[in-house]
Amino acid sequence: MTSVAHAKPAGGAHDAHHAPMSFWRKYIFSTDHKIIGIQFLFVSLFFLLVGGLLAMQIRWQLGFPGKPMPGGGILPESMVSGGVILPEYYIQLVTMHGTFMVFFAIMPLLVGVYANFLIPLKIGTHDMAFPRINMWSFWLALLAGLIMLAGFFVPDGAARCGWTMYAPCSARPDLSGATYSQQLWSISIVVLGLSSVMGSVNYITTIINHRAPGMTWFRMPLSVWALFITAILAVLALPVLQGAAIMLLFDQTIGTHFFDPGAGGQPLLWQHLFWFFGHPEVYILILPAMGMVSDIIANGSRKPIFGYHSMVFAIIGIAFLGWIVWGHHMFMSGMNPTLGSTFMVSTLLIAVPSAVKVFNWMGTMWRGNLRFHVPMLNAIGFVSMFTIGGLSGIFMAATPVDIPIHDTQFIVAHLHYVLFGGSLFALFAAIPYWYPKMFGRMMSERIGKLHFFLTFIFYNMTFFPMHIIGMGGQMRRIYDPTIYDFLKPQQPINEFISYSAFALFAVQILFAFNFLWSLKFGKKAPQNPWEDNGMEWSLPNPAPHGNWDKTPNVYRGPYEFSAPEAGDKDYLPQYVKLPTDRDPIPAPLSAGGH
Amino acid sequence: MTTPSTQPTHVRPNYMLIWLYLFVMTIAEVLLAFELPVSQNLKLILLLILAIWKAMLVAMFFMHLKFERWRLRLIFIVPLPLAIILVTTVIMEKVF
Amino acid sequence: MQTTTMTDAMRPPVPAEPGAGVYSNKLGMWVFLASDVMFFTALIGSYIVLRFGMATSWARPGAVLNVPLTGLNTFLLICSSVSMVKAYAAIADGKKYFLRKVPGKTLQDGGLKFWMLITIICGAGFVGVQVFEYIKLVGHGFTPTGYREGSVLAEHALADPVKYGAGVAGMYGSTFFTMTGFHGFHVTCGVISMLYLYFTKVLPEKYSPQDYRGIEVIGLYWHFVDLVWIILFTIVYLI
Repeated sequence: MTSVAHAKPAGGAHDAHHAPMSFWRKYIFSTDHKIIGIQFLFVSLFFLLVGGLLAMQIRWQLGFPGKPMPGGGILPESMVSGGVILPEYYIQLVTMHGTFMVFFAIMPLLVGVYANFLIPLKIGTHDMAFPRINMWSFWLALLAGLIMLAGFFVPDGAARCGWTMYAPCSARPDLSGATYSQQLWSISIVVLGLSSVMGSVNYITTIINHRAPGMTWFRMPLSVWALFITAILAVLALPVLQGAAIMLLFDQTIGTHFFDPGAGGQPLLWQHLFWFFGHPEVYILILPAMGMVSDIIANGSRKPIFGYHSMVFAIIGIAFLGWIVWGHHMFMSGMNPTLGSTFMVSTLLIAVPSAVKVFNWMGTMWRGNLRFHVPMLNAIGFVSMFTIGGLSGIFMAATPVDIPIHDTQFIVAHLHYVLFGGSLFALFAAIPYWYPKMFGRMMSERIGKLHFFLTFIFYNMTFFPMHIIGMGGQMRRIYDPTIYDFLKPQQPINEFISYSAFALFAVQILFAFNFLWSLKFGKKAPQNPWEDNGMEWSLPNPAPHGNWDKTPNVYRGPYEFSAPEAGDKDYLPQYVKLPTDRDPIPAPLSAGGH
Repeated sequence: MTTPSTQPTHVRPNYMLIWLYLFVMTIAEVLLAFELPVSQNLKLILLLILAIWKAMLVAMFFMHLKFERWRLRLIFIVPLPLAIILVTTVIMEKVF
Repeated sequence: MQTTTMTDAMRPPVPAEPGAGVYSNKLGMWVFLASDVMFFTALIGSYIVLRFGMATSWARPGAVLNVPLTGLNTFLLICSSVSMVKAYAAIADGKKYFLRKVPGKTLQDGGLKFWMLITIICGAGFVGVQVFEYIKLVGHGFTPTGYREGSVLAEHALADPVKYGAGVAGMYGSTFFTMTGFHGFHVTCGVISMLYLYFTKVLPEKYSPQDYRGIEVIGLYWHFVDLVWIILFTIVYLI
């Protein structure tokens, strides 16, 4: 359990101090938080692609039920008969799309990439508290992803029963139709949980103990605050899922009956355990996005974030309340109605801190000297789309309203508005924003703007109508809506959504091209291309191994835009020492330290 | 790099005494579970109290939580209400 | 890992705030233990919910499980916890040795090497007794899926269904083996870690009163494992 007895020597000059590392140590089995962040980035973008491809097939089936899918011939006959997606395959698509997107795309993109990459840079330290554990965290996440992917290639096909894996469907092969992949799902989740917990322990310890002199709690950028609170959520929530997944695995393999009602188990137990994890999980999926968007909007508005302290307390409030709302996913499970009311109240309450944040973003932009660079555009897109997603959430929070709309496309619309409209737009903002720091080059502004506008348009064309067909009664995870007469009139909307979705997916080629092409051919980035205030911009692009030669000092808060002290510039970085600044006094060693 | 020596200084607890307490309490628990003619509910409550008390002894003295700052104690305390909320809610559910 | 002399540039950053007031390894271990609490919450919480939410009562304490043996095992684990904290106190006092004669005392004074060895032996002993217990239980017919057909326990259950919780033996088995199994897994990991530290750091006397972080951190883990067992023993074996 002992970590290295000395910290990584600092700065770019570090490399001269020991033998040059082999390619394997430097880029593959690296303990450098930046490399690990980039590894997460490539792997997660791959899984995002996988999730997207699964979504395309879902949209084909929903838009054109029973019609042969182009390219369906390459899939096995047992799943796609004559090009037509079979129900057994459809439910796999729906399950795995959710699983890959939530666990292997969005979560690692927000946390695995940006917690790893940004935290040490933004608080002014050389690396994470436990670099080797960090490396293990990445490899375990990759292993978990591969285990999950293997589910497609085993007999009986991939896991089904929805990404929420409700028991007893998931526990009994006679109910789900799949054996191995269900077990692989459970195993993969346990491994992923381990990866997440290890990562989160790292993030929490680093932020608490390794901030540079002058980086007090309330001088930390909101992205770091958000990642800190997210890590706390992860460290407490993931183990519950792991416990549940282990019990599920035992039900699946050794014949226990935790969730099998026939033998005394309780299916609702799975739901409670899953959602007790699941709700903090969705806050894990949105808080880092909110944090990074705060940084970007302040930058794009050339103004300090409006209400910094209330933003921090809102993050804490959301995280705190997030533990006592999980029942709102279970209003229709037949649970105790008194509990239903309790969960309704707590869920409605949690809208308040989120609303505070939305108002503060607007307040930041109000009368700002707005710069509509690509990250800013996507960040503003985030705010608007997340607001819509949050508003539909209010509908669901009210239990009586949830009764008709539960498990309809209305829910699907809501979750995509917060996860795609929210988290993914935030990623489309964050990736170009910190791309220079990662790779030393800029992504193309022009392609980025085109990507944003097209994505925004097709995204709304895809997901907004889902509210309508959901209200009209189309269920979630349904194979063929046209089997119901009352849904037949809505089928043209389904087609429209599918066409929009295909266009949306196609447009992402722009992003992929921009990302990959700019790696080699992007404009070389100046040191601080966005004229931002964070500590990371004091380093050259890309940031060197070990970050700083000497521990930097922090002289002010993170959002000093348009400050009079800055002179003729409209930003004043945290690391710049003005003649009127004094050096921060390091804490005396006896008070703790390292 | 020195750390244990930079901890707030405190009187070292008498570990053997704590050990004796734990030993006696364990015997008490086993006796309670089997020998004593006590009602089931009372037995349950007493056993839980004994278990929690033993756990607190280990946490406070062996893990030195008694002598640490509040901030550190908080890390261990935070999961406990969550655990209670989860179990209580699910039991309320089941009872219904 | 390079061993270079510490220069100022290499020192970890001195924080403006005291942070947690403890060094990072310890803070990290505490955070990990908090996550482990949640893990056991899921398992133990499920047991509580499944058992006490059920109308049929489960097997009486002592009917299936060997309480006296496990009581002894509990005591063994508690002893290992005591020896762990004695090891911690020993190195804090600089006692890197195994045993040393102290004038005026009959018993020799134990140093780090002695107390760690006791801890490892007691810990391994605990695992051994658990494995032995598992083998015996499975032999009698107690499995994660209930009482095995035709086994001794199945016959007992037929004769006295109330005492043996006949209808719900499956749940009893599932929860018992999962909870104690994962606890045993945690203990095993602890023993392996301690063995590793013993041979790489304790025996070569790499710990000193100025730096015994590894002992403190593994000690925290070990005490936690003991703590969980204290709870588990009570609610699984005695209630």
